[in-house]
Amino acid sequence: MNYKRKIIGENIGFSTVTDEKFNTCHLNIRLITELSDDTAAANAIAMGCLVYSNSRLKTLKEMSEQLSSLYGASVSSSVSKRGDLQIAGFSASWICNRFALENEDIDGKMFEIIGDCLFRPNIADGGFESEAFRINRKELLDRIDAELNDKRSYTITQASKIAFAGEPAENPESGTRASAEAVTPRSAYEAYLKLLESAQIEIFFVAPAENSNVEKLFSDSFSQIKRVSRDYPFRSVSPVKPQPENVSEEIDVRQCKIALTFKSDSDDSEALTLLSAIYGGTPVSKLFANVRERLSLCYYCACRYNKSKNVIMVDCGVEKNNIGKASEEILRQLDEIRQGNIAEAEIQSALLALENSCISVGDTPYSYVSWYFERFCCGEIKTPSEYFESLRGVTKDRLIKAAASLKLDSTYHMLNKETAQ
Amino acid sequence: MKKEILTSKHTGDSCIHVNHKSGLDIYICEMPGFSGVKALFGTDYGSVDTTFKVAADTEYTTVPMGIAHFLEHKLFENEDCGVFELYAATGAAGNAFTSFDKTCYLFSCSKNYTENLKILLDFVQKPFFTKENVDKEQGIIGQEIQMTNDNPEWRVLFNMLKCMYHNHPVKIDIAGTAESIAQINAELLYKCYDTFYNLNNMTLAIAGNINADEVLAICDEMLRPCEDKGLETFFPDEPLTVVEHEIRERQPVGAPIFQLGFKCAPCGGYELLKKNLTAAAACAVICDTSSEMYQKLLSGGVINSSFGFDVFCGDGYFAVIFGGESESPETVRDEILGEISRIKANGVDKKLFSRIKKETYGMSIRELNNVDAVAALMLNSGMNGVKPYDSIDIISELTSGDVLDFIRNELSEDRLVLSIIDRTEEMIQS
Repeated sequence: MNYKRKIIGENIGFSTVTDEKFNTCHLNIRLITELSDDTAAANAIAMGCLVYSNSRLKTLKEMSEQLSSLYGASVSSSVSKRGDLQIAGFSASWICNRFALENEDIDGKMFEIIGDCLFRPNIADGGFESEAFRINRKELLDRIDAELNDKRSYTITQASKIAFAGEPAENPESGTRASAEAVTPRSAYEAYLKLLESAQIEIFFVAPAENSNVEKLFSDSFSQIKRVSRDYPFRSVSPVKPQPENVSEEIDVRQCKIALTFKSDSDDSEALTLLSAIYGGTPVSKLFANVRERLSLCYYCACRYNKSKNVIMVDCGVEKNNIGKASEEILRQLDEIRQGNIAEAEIQSALLALENSCISVGDTPYSYVSWYFERFCCGEIKTPSEYFESLRGVTKDRLIKAAASLKLDSTYHMLNKETAQ
Repeated sequence: MKKEILTSKHTGDSCIHVNHKSGLDIYICEMPGFSGVKALFGTDYGSVDTTFKVAADTEYTTVPMGIAHFLEHKLFENEDCGVFELYAATGAAGNAFTSFDKTCYLFSCSKNYTENLKILLDFVQKPFFTKENVDKEQGIIGQEIQMTNDNPEWRVLFNMLKCMYHNHPVKIDIAGTAESIAQINAELLYKCYDTFYNLNNMTLAIAGNINADEVLAICDEMLRPCEDKGLETFFPDEPLTVVEHEIRERQPVGAPIFQLGFKCAPCGGYELLKKNLTAAAACAVICDTSSEMYQKLLSGGVINSSFGFDVFCGDGYFAVIFGGESESPETVRDEILGEISRIKANGVDKKLFSRIKKETYGMSIRELNNVDAVAALMLNSGMNGVKPYDSIDIISELTSGDVLDFIRNELSEDRLVLSIIDRTEEMIQS
């Protein structure tokens, strides 16, 4: 494997990962900007329009036919939230030329499609073509409406809104229904042009062999755009509320759900990462072993560490009568860590689980992109082994201090009708 | 012990198949350059296998619904400690799942695969069920059932199956119900274990950064030879007709969802694989994103990108299912029926069919370049009695005539069920 990164324009990083075991080529571009309800929906709709059609393949039908004839190649868009930032993504994936049954130049055709989608989109009257826009705005509205369909992810979203109230991170990654309804073909296109001009940009190309045409495509295209960009802060620690805020919502569900958000002012992200694994990140974690296995209160009880906001969030699905018992145990297990009741075996098993995920980076093209983007956001490029060594260096004392730094900020309860109080 | 190397004539990929002296079928794929290892140890025992006997039995035994899934949970507890604790000492991510027709225990790791393989082979062969540990699991599984009852994707599927199948146990939730799992005890679990966890009824698949000789040496050491007890499962007669054509449930959802299923004739072995691939190609022909019908539904706001299809098949059941979010599932049903009629009359578009074949070939190339996917492919093939690369051969030989025959013979309105999860009144008002 060979990893290289270079700057190909103002605030534009271009990374290549060459790994000969792959049968596919994978391109990913990430446009990083602030998360704001004013722009989030327009950016999301714009990214959808880019992969729906372009100036040459003017309809979804033409786009679909072209991609399927290239052995099921794909172009896709995404929008995600990282702390107070919005990350608009464009990806393309295709099988290597050597697998083409009729000697087609799949690489060459995909570079054309990618270039057309990103730099020559399907524009009419100063905005995205109306049909592409209409379909993609509806798509976004449907996504927003469907948020409640998945009760667990809805719980996490609601808990985040409460925890980050007043901060950019309180906004949904793709905006609200009201902001999506206000977007027009023109405003979506203008939002995209602004992203091209001002977003911090990271591009990744993962393939079995180097291909200079990819870099050329992007350096030539971006040289035509007047860029005025700045670096965005990937870490924006969220201040803890003076008093924990508790919010409940009644929904006609069978199982109640709870989420507890803990905030930290510690800079020791390695200790918080390891702490999160020990507390609720594995099937032998304190939460799994006690809330689920010992007390049989739930099917899942887990936590995740959000490095950008320096927050650990616990979530659990639980019977109505057991909400109090589960919450108490979740808090009690954190106290156990604060008091130093962490067995060496717990530390070692968390480290082994983290090492396992570090070593497996590189088994898929996307895992390389995720890894190197994460390292870019953290400000230092490390290999998975180097990063793991920094986790291994975390002492029990650092874990105790990290746990002590966690303060309960807020709770969210999804209650079924009978439990509403 | 019979050992053979299986090779794809289309891609050059290969794997090893061993019919082990213990009775177990073993599939091994060394994947140079990859760091990870994925292993799956599965038994041909799923939620539908509720009535069974072995050659020595005079009568069939019927056990409570959800017992295969319950057994899967309980096998994770050894006499001395939990299996998760054993994996925790090696760093592997261990897990298990129960589907309609199989139960699988698995791990993925990047280090210590030999130790992990020993753990896997050991605990699956070493059940430990007691009244206490069975009682403890009732609460956990009870919550899992509640969680799935709140999952509209789960509900829409089971509502559809309930309307599609008169007698076949595929219509029952994999985890059972609160009432059915309350009937489960240690004795019943041992009965099911002794019947289905016989190595003659099981398959091991392992792929990634491994050495085949090491794997086989561990298998020789760990596997306890089993006598083939002549297992028979019983499924009640199931007509091709459906129970109800439509079912609707209200749930607190933001977006209504639907599944539209066509009941088809079941089959097994190589024929099942061929029918599965033919059905998938037929669904793609009907609702490819480039098709007129898809464009019309998308443009009219009737469907969105969540729209898709699935081929649902196993022991005694076969269906094709279209589904997604929609405010007007009846319109989707009518349009799909219209498209099916059009294809039945006019035949399959040759250019579209050719693109679908290319897409499927591309998908196989990707699948064979992924450790998890290769392990799953080998396990599923082995358990279905086919070879891992048979699907690429079948696809390459598939004709538009095969697809047309499937559509003409299997997709008829009288075997159709529409299942809808709609918003609750409260959600509509808000």
